Amino acid sequence: MKRLLSSREALVTGLLLLLIVITGLFNPNFFKFDSIVEIFNASLTLVLISLGEMFVILTRGIDVSVGATAGLAAVVLGTTLNLGWPVGWAIVAALATGTLAGMLNAFGVTMLRVPPIIMTLGTLGIYRGLMRIITGGSWIENLPQSIKEPNLWSFAGVPFFVWLTALVIATTAYWTLRARPARYFYAVGDNEEGAYLLGLPVRPTQFMAYTLAGVFAAMAAIVFTSQIGFVSMNAADGFELKAIAANVLGGVSLTGGVGTPLGAAVGALFLTAVHSMLIFLGVPGIWDNAFAGVILLAVVYVDYRVRSTLESQRRQARIRGDVGGGAS
Amino acid sequence: MKWTRIFRTWEFALAVLLVLEILVLGWINPVFFNLENLLYSTLDFSHILFAALPLTLVIITAGIDISGVSIMGLASITLGLIWVAGVNIFVALAIALLVGILAGAFNGFFVAKTDVNPLVITLGTLFMYAGIAQGMPALLDFLGFKAYGSAGLAAYQYEGITGLPDSFIALTEGTVGIVPYPFILVLLFAAALSLLLHKTRFGRYLYLIGVNPKAAAYSGVPIQKVLVWAYVLSGFGAALAGVMLTSYFTSARADLGGDALLPIITAVVLGGADILGGSGTILGTLLAGMLLGFLRQGLLAIGVTNDLIQVVIGALLISAMAVKQLMHVYGEYRLNRKALSQKERG
Repeated sequence: MKRLLSSREALVTGLLLLLIVITGLFNPNFFKFDSIVEIFNASLTLVLISLGEMFVILTRGIDVSVGATAGLAAVVLGTTLNLGWPVGWAIVAALATGTLAGMLNAFGVTMLRVPPIIMTLGTLGIYRGLMRIITGGSWIENLPQSIKEPNLWSFAGVPFFVWLTALVIATTAYWTLRARPARYFYAVGDNEEGAYLLGLPVRPTQFMAYTLAGVFAAMAAIVFTSQIGFVSMNAADGFELKAIAANVLGGVSLTGGVGTPLGAAVGALFLTAVHSMLIFLGVPGIWDNAFAGVILLAVVYVDYRVRSTLESQRRQARIRGDVGGGAS
Repeated sequence: MKWTRIFRTWEFALAVLLVLEILVLGWINPVFFNLENLLYSTLDFSHILFAALPLTLVIITAGIDISGVSIMGLASITLGLIWVAGVNIFVALAIALLVGILAGAFNGFFVAKTDVNPLVITLGTLFMYAGIAQGMPALLDFLGFKAYGSAGLAAYQYEGITGLPDSFIALTEGTVGIVPYPFILVLLFAAALSLLLHKTRFGRYLYLIGVNPKAAAYSGVPIQKVLVWAYVLSGFGAALAGVMLTSYFTSARADLGGDALLPIITAVVLGGADILGGSGTILGTLLAGMLLGFLRQGLLAIGVTNDLIQVVIGALLISAMAVKQLMHVYGEYRLNRKALSQKERG
């Protein structure tokens, strides 16, 4: 029980299941296969952005420009498509935009040594401004069918993008668990000096984290552009804060070195599910933000209480001479 | 202390930049040289200063408060709703400020009592306060309390609560000579905070907590109390900003100040406060806020679009920080060289 409580992924998944059951009791329609799939489908953008953000947070950084990066990539995607580029090349252009945007953040943080929150706050303004300058402030509409098409594909009743995102989560989860370079993110975030003294490539690792955040934001841009079929000027607005909230909910610690892709994904799913659940419960969507904020605060507070209780038990055990005991 | 040291401070550099900026912008567009216009344009960014000045105190303690932008909307809508309920507008104003103080106190207690990162806490309250502000009119509507006049809920959601009394609008329209009221209030607020930060024990505690919280705890600093007050001031400043914007826009809205987060933090950081805590001054934030505000006004006046200004401000923030960091690195390098050469000599 103690172990379950101290695992944030389990705590949040449990809370999510509880909320789903409660919602289902009030409104049985919620239990239908279609509504569950719809929640997954609606969460994809946030899941992808949160996964990218996770790498940055693991290295003890923060990236508040991911939403703007996604917006910029979506604008590039839409503009190139409307210029008549084939969909494949437009997607490459969007991914390149995300990569470059991420690399600019990475350059500022690792080479110019600008504190991450300042660097990415600056690029947040820059990318949002560029978005409007490229389009002249108007929405990008009349996108060709070729980009909307993938959203209609589905296998076994589940949309193609849900499968694709699941695959991305699985790959990332496997990679961060098994691959040596991926463990560097944890080492650098947990103890930067220590990682440096061990001879780990600290700055390249940080560089990689911000670049990955950009790449994932671009992937999210492709998914939501395909899903909604146009690009508005406030596309992915505020997603940077939601992505951070999703990570924190899912147990990715802002103090670095702790967290898993699965946690980040569950956190993002949770935040999206709250929205759907409120609708099913008949609460106006306007309460979304309040609810998300309360849940976030409640989860970090419970987490704090659990940690401090465990810590004091460990201390008690040590006083009794039971060295190392009490740690579950 | 040599008096020439004043020329080497960051605040002095900011003051020089501010003068240069006004000269250059005035040279391009002489309208800018008109003192009255210049002062009048402060109305457009006074709210940034109201929020940024007390935020400096929070950042000095190595904390951060991003929920201010939501507190602005919360204060504004509180003021509007209470006024619609038939209460005198200035009583409503006082209650709105009180709401800001309470919101700040909630942040402060959460930060002081737990070890959770202040960014996470104020991110949570950013959502929570914004959600409450957005939801309140709908909730009141649901309960049968018609808060939005005859035009209905849809009209309210479009234009906010309008028709506020003239005496309240006069708060931002009025002037002393040619200086608008809000700017005078900004200066008074800055002076008060500056005294608090630089001339009281409380102020020194803020720096000590930012530099080394453990040393602060061992030397008997009432850390929790000091932190709560820092966040209370930040919440109060944000509420003041919300009230001022309500008067300036002549309508109470839940989403006021939503895009102010970037300029607010830019002002504090450009003003010389270290985001990692332990340094920063009120004068620096004031000068940086004015620098940014006038830059925006000046660029708008010479026909630069809002979008490009956003890019310019972002780039400015990054380059200012980069220059500061590189100067720091160079300074260390020079000190090391000096120390080494002295050692060689003897």
